[in-house]
Order: sequence, then C-alpha cells, then structure tokens
Amino acid sequence: MLRTVVRRKPRLVDVYLLVGAVAIGVYFAAPADSVVQTVYYSVVGVYGIAGLVLGAQRNLARGARFPWYLFAVGLIGFVVGDTIFDAYLIGNGTLPFPSAADWIYLAAYPVLFAAIALLVARYGRRRIHIALIDAGIVTFGFVLAQWVFVLAPTAQATGSLLDRSILVAYPAMDILIVAPLAGLIYSRAARSTSFVLLALAILTMLVADEVYYGHGVNYRWLDGFWLASYALWGAAALHPSVAALGADAEAPRPRLGTSRLLLLGLAGAAAPIVLAVQTGRGANAHPYAVAGFGIAITVLVLGRMALLLRAYDAARREAESSRAVLLEQNEQLRELDRLKDEFVGLVSHDLRTPLTSITGYVELLESEETGPLTDEQRSFLSIVARNADRLLRLVNDLLFVARLQTGRLDLALDEVDLAEVAEHAVAGAGPRAGAKGLDLQFAASGDTAVFGESGRLGQLLDNLVSNAVKFTPHGGSVSVSVKAENGAVVLEVADSGIGIPESERARLFERFFRASTAVSRQIPGTGLGLHIAQAIVDAHGGRITVSSVVGEGTTFRVELPPATVGAEVHA
Amino acid sequence: VSGTILVADDEDDILGLLRVHLTRLGYEVVAAHDGEEAVRLAAEHRPMLAVLDVSMPKLDGLEVTRRLRAGDDGDMPVILLSALVQPADVERGLEAGANAYLRKPFTGEELRERIEELLAV
Repeated sequence: MLRTVVRRKPRLVDVYLLVGAVAIGVYFAAPADSVVQTVYYSVVGVYGIAGLVLGAQRNLARGARFPWYLFAVGLIGFVVGDTIFDAYLIGNGTLPFPSAADWIYLAAYPVLFAAIALLVARYGRRRIHIALIDAGIVTFGFVLAQWVFVLAPTAQATGSLLDRSILVAYPAMDILIVAPLAGLIYSRAARSTSFVLLALAILTMLVADEVYYGHGVNYRWLDGFWLASYALWGAAALHPSVAALGADAEAPRPRLGTSRLLLLGLAGAAAPIVLAVQTGRGANAHPYAVAGFGIAITVLVLGRMALLLRAYDAARREAESSRAVLLEQNEQLRELDRLKDEFVGLVSHDLRTPLTSITGYVELLESEETGPLTDEQRSFLSIVARNADRLLRLVNDLLFVARLQTGRLDLALDEVDLAEVAEHAVAGAGPRAGAKGLDLQFAASGDTAVFGESGRLGQLLDNLVSNAVKFTPHGGSVSVSVKAENGAVVLEVADSGIGIPESERARLFERFFRASTAVSRQIPGTGLGLHIAQAIVDAHGGRITVSSVVGEGTTFRVELPPATVGAEVHA
Repeated sequence: VSGTILVADDEDDILGLLRVHLTRLGYEVVAAHDGEEAVRLAAEHRPMLAVLDVSMPKLDGLEVTRRLRAGDDGDMPVILLSALVQPADVERGLEAGANAYLRKPFTGEELRERIEELLAV
C-alpha cells in the first residue's frame, strides 16, 4: 500500500523557542558571575527584542505592528538597564543606588503598559464592560496584596526619600502591568496561542519581579525567569496566530470558565487572605487598605452581577420573542393543515358524486335488465368500470394519506385471520393475473390469526398483491404466503417482476415515491400504495421489509404480532 | 316485498339510479331533491324506509334524520348515503340517528343488503 508521510515543516516560532531554551541552559552552564555570563545575559535580551521586531514584520500588517514595536522598546530599556548594571559590576564591583539603570528600568515599564493597553483597546473592545470589571477585580486584589506585603514595608524602610521612592516604584510598576494584562486575559484575544505566549512572558517577568522585591534577594534561578520572559516575548510576536488576535468580527458571549472563576475568586478573596496572613504573622494588618479594597472589589462584583443579569434578561426576552414567533407560525401551520384537510375532503366528495353515477349506471347496464349486451359492448363497459374503479382507488388513497398526515390511524380492532384476508385479495387479483398469463399462487400454514382491522388489512393485501401483479411481466409468477413463524404471523408477497434498485429501497415507502424501474417502463401509479401499506402495518404494530433483485423480482415481507400478543398490546 | 321508500338526493342522476334499483326490488319510490322536501314527503307518504343523501340544500341529511326521529315516524329505518366517507362523517351520521351509513359509490347489491337487513325485523 502506498502511503505518504506528511512531515510538518518546523515553524520559525518552534525553532526560536528551542534556541531560546538552549540559550537559557547555556547561561546557567557558564561560570557564575563571570564576565562571559554577565554579557551573555544581555545577549538573550537582544534575542527577545529581535524576535519581537522580526515577528511583527513577518506576521502583522503595517498598522498592527505598533504595540509590538512598543514591547521591543520596553525590552530595549531592560537590556540597556541590564548592560549598565553589569558594567558597574564588572568595572568596580559596586553598584551605586539609585543608578542610571534604575531610571531606565523604571521608564521601560510605562512603555510596556502602553503596549498592553493598546492591545486591549484593539482586541477587547467588544464586551469590554465585563472584561474591564473582571480586570478591575483582579487588579484590586493584586494591588491590595502588593500594598500590604511589598509597598508598605518598603515605604517604611530606612533610607533617603529618593531611595525609598525608587524602591517603591518597582512594585508600583508591576501593578501598572497587571491591570492591562488582566484586561487582555478577559478580552476575546485570550484564545490565541500568541496571546498565551505573551501572557506567559509578562507573568514570568512579574513573578520574578515580585519574588525579588518581596525577599530583596536576587536568587540565581530568578535570572532564568527573566531570560525566559525575553524569549517568550519574542515567540509571541513570531507565532503566526498573532495576526489572528481578535480577527473574528463577532465576539462570543464571555464565558464564565473554571479558570476565570478561580482567578476572580482568588482576587475577590484578597482582602480576607491579606488580613489572615498579616494577623497570623503578627504584622500590621492595614485595616483601612483592606477595608477600602474590600469595598472596591465588592462594588465591582455587584457591577459584574448587574451586567450578567442584564445579559440574562436580554437573552430571556429574545427567547420569549422567538417563542412567540414560533407559536404564531405553529398556528398558521395548523390553519394550513386544516384548510388542506378541508380541501382534500371537498375534492374527494366532488369526485365521488360523478363516480357514483358512472359506476352505478354501468352496473345497471351490465346486469342486462335493460336488454342483452353484445360481447363487444360488455368488454367496453368493463373497461369503463375498471377505469372508474382506478379513479376511485386514487381518490381513496389521497384521502387516506391526507388523514395519515394529520394523525395516527385509528383501528377498529378484532381478531382477523390474515390467511383469509390474503386469500380474498389473491382471488380479487385473479382476473388481472390471468389476463397477463401470470402463475398466481397462494399458500397458508399454521395459526395465522392477528388482531387488527379487517378492512385495513384487506387494503394492505390488495396493495401488495396488485403491485406484484402490476410489476410482473407476462408469463411471470406471483406467490402469496401466510404462515406462523417465530411467534409472528408472516406474510410474503413474492413476484418475478422488474425489481427495485438497491439505492431506492430506503425511499420506497415515502409518499409519492416511485421506483425508477416503474417510471422508465411507464407503469402507471401514484407512489401512494406502499406508503399506505407501511402506515397500516405500523398501526398494527408490525414491520414491513423488502428484498429485491433488479430484473429477477421483489419480495415484500410483513410481520404482524399474532392475535394473542396483539390483543395485549392494544388492550 | 312491497312498500314505499323515500329517497332524497340533490343529484337527479343518483335519484334516477336509486329509483331503478328500488323499483326492480319491488318498492314504491317517492323522491325528494332537498331536505325540506324529504321531511314533507315523509309526513305525507309515511314510507317504510328512507335513503337520504347527507349533503343536500336547505336541510342536510343529518338534520332530516333528526327530524324524522323526533316526529311521528321516529322508528322508521334511515339509510344515509353519502360521498362523505371519513370515519368522522360516518360517526356523525350514526349519531344523528341513522341505522346505516352507505358510502358512495355504492353497488345495487350493497343497497339491497342494507334494506333487507333493516326491514327483516
């Protein structure tokens, strides 16, 4: 067997991330605090910037690149800060505070803020109320924790006012980043891979920042986080899905997923958590801050609830109005149905009246009480009678089908011997079969009593037997058998006729459907007979199936519950 | 067998058909073309049986049946003969008080059987 193996070409972004990961590994492999390692750190930063610029140019239209260039500018700030920082360390081993690096670092954060805010404005515009409120809840929770755990202790530490201001400014900048990031998380851009990479880049940076501020220690592994952040930032721009960020015109309704609920719940619980932690370790609980942020978060939650309720109301109104439309359409359909029934009834009545005169007077003539008939006259009259009969059958079928459509078939049930009904139908078809030179057989065996309506069962048998005769060419054979088999009464009507193509058998019992073999031979019919037959079998709790070979013949098989079982079913 | 049978139908052709069949069976026939005439002729001729169309002008066959049932000949056998053949139509006819409901088109044989059934008692 031939098989083509489709190999996915590695995408640029995959290669980029892989190289980034290797680069971070190399950083940790280098001798700690060596000049090489220190310089290498900035090189990884440049790698991130390169990814951002390249990605924006490859994947984005000119107008959409600006926020990503801003990210690049922010990262350039960080790399320049890193370089100055390293220069001091390599140069004389001491670091002045505050240094030029601090100013450049601090200036980079607002640029990143602006970039994220631009993305939110661009991709989160729709459903922005709920996104903003959710972002607000998360931000307030973060700010409270930041204030109590980081900002307040730093502000109260010793040192000059300038020193303390700069120390406070770093965690404050993280707040600046968290706010639009939360907004972006709750915007509809949140579902693209590019976004996930971007959010990871920002989160990685924030986590490292927070650990650094919170403990005032530069753990070695924190470098890994910051470096990973650079690489993820570049990858976000390089991932092709960056172009699809917010590309869909229609925003879906905001979903309240588990992760969203967890994040909101955590933020909402910020006040009691902060209170418990601070009380637990005997530190200042900052009651005013806790109370203030607690109230702010509560107000936002209320606003969120109000928006949800409003959305719910709108949805309900919409559902109600569409329900009203449906009801009205339903009513119109019912009226149409009633008109159709009335029409069918009228047509049936008006066709029957002239048919009554035709068949009635033909019958009088055929009785020869008005005078003897010649053979030719008798044969002509029988043609009139046969065609009047055909017309009457058609009218009956149409009326019956119209009734089937409006409701189920109500049967006047009684114990009926199916063999007797079949024999009667076979006898009725005798003259037609004889005229075509058909070999018409009938056989019955076993207890063939069923519980049903004899008139309807007669109609069923007439339909099947007359079909068999109609579709079997001169000299063929038709055999009808009724027998008890496996707890059912089974009727089989088999012919050596033209057959029904396999592909049409599924549609055979549909209203007005006619097999192509019948149509192409111009055998007259309405396509109602088998539909009616199936309805009658269904109403009796039975099953009708067909097997056929084109050109060889067709067998219809009807299985009905025997009288004993049928009586229980219908009781 | 002899006696008078009332037939009513707004179609002359069908009245003619009924007349031939019933005359051959040996009955006298009085024929009405609408419901009102049928009620009047019933009172006038006191027939032993009535064969009534359902859809007739002025009074329909159901109403004629009800009036016959309410009048002096309350127990006279009534056969409704109609081109309205739905089960609901038959039910309405029997509810109005008819003894039998014959669907059009009918054969002479069917008509004879019904009449003999109803007059046998």
